[in-house]
Amino acid sequence: MNNYELLNNVKHQSVKVITDRSADYGDNLQFAVTFPLEFRRIQSHYPIFLQKDNETGKFFPIALFGFEAGENLYLSENGWDAEYIPLSVKRHPFVIGYQQTSDPTQEKQAVISIDMESPRVNETEGEALFQEHGGTSSYLSTVTEVLESIQVGIEMNEEFIDALLEHDLVESVNMEIELKDGSRNQLLGLYTINEDNLEQLEAEALGKLHQQRHLQSIYMIMASLSSFSTLIQKRNDRLPQE
Amino acid sequence: MSKAVNSIVVAGGGSAGWLTAGLVAAEHQANQASGLNVILVESPDVSPIGVGEGTWPTMRRSLQKMGVSETDFLRACDASFKQGTCFSGWQHGAEEFYYHPFTPPQAFNETNLARFWQPLRERVTFADAVSPQARVCESALAPKQITTPEYASNINYGYHLDAGKFAQFLRKHCVEKLGVKHILDNITTVNTDTDGDIQSLNTQSGRRIEGDLFVDCTGFSALLIGKHYDIPFISKQHILFNDRALAVQVQRESADEAIASSTHSTAQNAGWVWDIGLPARRGVGYTYSSAHSSDEQAEIELRSYLKRTAGVAVSESCSPRQLKFNPGHREKLWHRNCVAIGLSGGFVEPLEASALVMIELSAKMLSEQLPANRSIMDVVAKRFNEKFLYHWHRIIEFLKLHYVLSLRDDSDYWRDNRREHSIPESLRESLELWRYQCPWHMDLPHVDELFSSASYQYVLYGMGFKSEGPGGRQSDLVARARVENLFNDNASRTRQLLEGLPSNRELITKVHKFGFQKI
Repeated sequence: MNNYELLNNVKHQSVKVITDRSADYGDNLQFAVTFPLEFRRIQSHYPIFLQKDNETGKFFPIALFGFEAGENLYLSENGWDAEYIPLSVKRHPFVIGYQQTSDPTQEKQAVISIDMESPRVNETEGEALFQEHGGTSSYLSTVTEVLESIQVGIEMNEEFIDALLEHDLVESVNMEIELKDGSRNQLLGLYTINEDNLEQLEAEALGKLHQQRHLQSIYMIMASLSSFSTLIQKRNDRLPQE
Repeated sequence: MSKAVNSIVVAGGGSAGWLTAGLVAAEHQANQASGLNVILVESPDVSPIGVGEGTWPTMRRSLQKMGVSETDFLRACDASFKQGTCFSGWQHGAEEFYYHPFTPPQAFNETNLARFWQPLRERVTFADAVSPQARVCESALAPKQITTPEYASNINYGYHLDAGKFAQFLRKHCVEKLGVKHILDNITTVNTDTDGDIQSLNTQSGRRIEGDLFVDCTGFSALLIGKHYDIPFISKQHILFNDRALAVQVQRESADEAIASSTHSTAQNAGWVWDIGLPARRGVGYTYSSAHSSDEQAEIELRSYLKRTAGVAVSESCSPRQLKFNPGHREKLWHRNCVAIGLSGGFVEPLEASALVMIELSAKMLSEQLPANRSIMDVVAKRFNEKFLYHWHRIIEFLKLHYVLSLRDDSDYWRDNRREHSIPESLRESLELWRYQCPWHMDLPHVDELFSSASYQYVLYGMGFKSEGPGGRQSDLVARARVENLFNDNASRTRQLLEGLPSNRELITKVHKFGFQKI
C-alpha cells in the first residue's frame, strides 16, 4: 500500500531516499509511461509503443522493458543497464499534485508528496531531501524538475494521442518473438504508428502535425522499434548457455 | 430506355424511415453530387410509435455502415448493451427461467453439442453448458471492456435503446453526414402515372415530391402500401394471439442502479411483460390477447409486476399507454415502385425483438439490390417479396414455438396456444422430428435465416423439451472425443469472462465519461 505524505522540511528533515536500481525497490517493471519530451532519449534505448489504460481505454505511450509482467531486461545485479532512465521511473517515490492556496485568485500551487511506504525511504542510506537548516537538497531539486516535466508530459500526451487518432495514425501491432531456444512469446495490447496512413497524409495535415511538434514524436516512435531487437538480444542473453 | 432510379423518397420518420434512409444513403453516397438522391418526408404532427427498443447484434453492422460512432450512439440514445432474452415463468408460471443468448453454442458449426447435452440435462442448463452468455447476463455484466474498440465485442451483443432518441439521433446523422434531404410536411395525395406507379406525393404546404422509388415507413397508417395501394393485410392472430400492449416508462431512482444485460420477458395469465433496462429508465409493457383478458385485468397484472420490480409508488402512480395492433403482415411488401418497411409492412408482438432487425434487413436488401431502372424493378420486387414473406413466416413460427412448449395450464390463453389448429403445420412437423433429433443446420434451409437452429435449441431446451434419439452414430463416436473438451472450454471461458467483464452500468458510465476507442 502507498502512504503519501505532503513533503515538509520539518517532518521529513532526516528522510533519505535510496536511488539504486533494483527489483527490491520496485524497478522490475515491464514498461513505464513516457512522454514526447523525452522520446528522443528514450528511443535510443527502448522501443516505444502505445497502450490502452485499463480504466479508461485511453491510449498512452510506453517504453517497453520486458516481455512479461515483472520482467525488466534492463535491470541486472549492477543496476539499470541504460544511460537514460525514463522520467516516470525516476520520479519514485514522489508524486506531484496541485493545491489551492488560501488566496483563491491565485493559481493552484504545485506540491510534492512522498510515499513513506516505499522501500527506498529510510533515514540512513541514500540521498537526503533537505539540508541541515531546511534548504532543499540538490537531489530534491532534481526530483522536482522530473515531476514538473512529467506534469507537462501528461498534457502533451493527451494532445499527441488526440492528433494521432484524428489522423488514423494508430494501429494495433502483434509482436511475436522467437528466442534462440525456439520458444515463442506474443505481446498483446500494443499499438504503434500506422505508417501506411502516415504516408498517405495530405501536405496540409502533415504541416499541421509538424507545426504542433507531433511529427517528430511520430518518427521517434517509428525509429524506436529498432530497439526491439535490443530487447530480444537481452532476453536471449539470459537464456541458460548450452 | 427504361427510366433510371435516381431518386428515393422515404415516407415517414420513425426508426424505420431513418434507418432505411441512412442505410440507402450510405451505400449509394447520397452526399456526393453523383450519388443517389434520398428524400425523407415526415409529418410534423405524428410522433413515432417507438416500440422497438431492443436490437439484434446486426445493429452494430448497420450503425457502422452508416458511419456512426458507437460512443455517440450510446450517449445520445440512452442505450445499453443487450445480450439476449431471459424468459421467466414460461414453462410452469412459477419462478423458473431460461436464457436465449445471442451467442450460438460452442463450436456450433462443427459439432451439435445439444445431442451430447441431453444426458446432462439434470445437472446443467443447456445455455450454461454450451455458452457463457447466460451467466454473464445473470451477473448483469457488459459484453466488453472499455479497452475493447467500438463495435468489437468480448461476447456478442446488440442494444437496448430509447426509440424516440434513436430516431432523432439518426435524423441528425442522416441529414448532416449522409446527405438525406429532410422535409417536414404532411402527405396529402399520392399521384400515379398511367401504369399505376407512384410519381409524386403532394403535401399540405403545396409541395410536390417526385421520386422513382417510394418507401412506405408511415407506421400502422401504411399511407402508400395500405391506404393507396390497398395491399391486403394477412392477420396471424389465429397463431399469435397478442393484439394489445400497455406500456410504461420507469425512471431510475439512482444513477448507479444495475442495468440488466438482457431483455426480461415474464409470462402472465394472458400474455407476457417485457422489461428493458436503459441507463436512465426501464421500459416495461404487457402485451396480451384481448380475447383472453380485459384491458382492466391486463392493467392490474402490469401494476402487480411493477409493484414487485419497481415498488408500490411506481406501480400506483404510473399511467400506462395503450397500443392496439393486429398481428400479421401485408400480402406483399413491394408493389410496383413502392416498398413497405417497418410497421406498414407488418407487426407482431416484440417477443424476440424482430421489428428493428426486419427493418435493417429490408433496408439492406433494398440498398444492395437497388434496381438501376424501372424495367428490372419488378424482378427485385419479386425476390424481395419472396424473401420477406419467408422471414415473416419463420418469425411467426419461431414466436409460436415459445407458447407451444409451455406446460402452463392455469388459463385458457396458455391452453388455447397449444391447440393444434393454432400451430402452423411446418412447426408441428419440426417438433415431431425434434423429439428424436436435435435441430441443426439442415433443419433450416436458408443461409440468412433470422432464427438459426441455435435459437431453436436455446428455446426448446430452455423450455424443457426432450430430444431422445437413438445414440451410436458414426459421427457421434468421432465427435464424442471432442465434446468433453468443448464443454470444458466453455466452462473456462465462462470463468474468464465473469472475472474480466465490468458490470453493464460500470461500462456505460465509462462510455459516457471516456468513450470507446475506434481501434
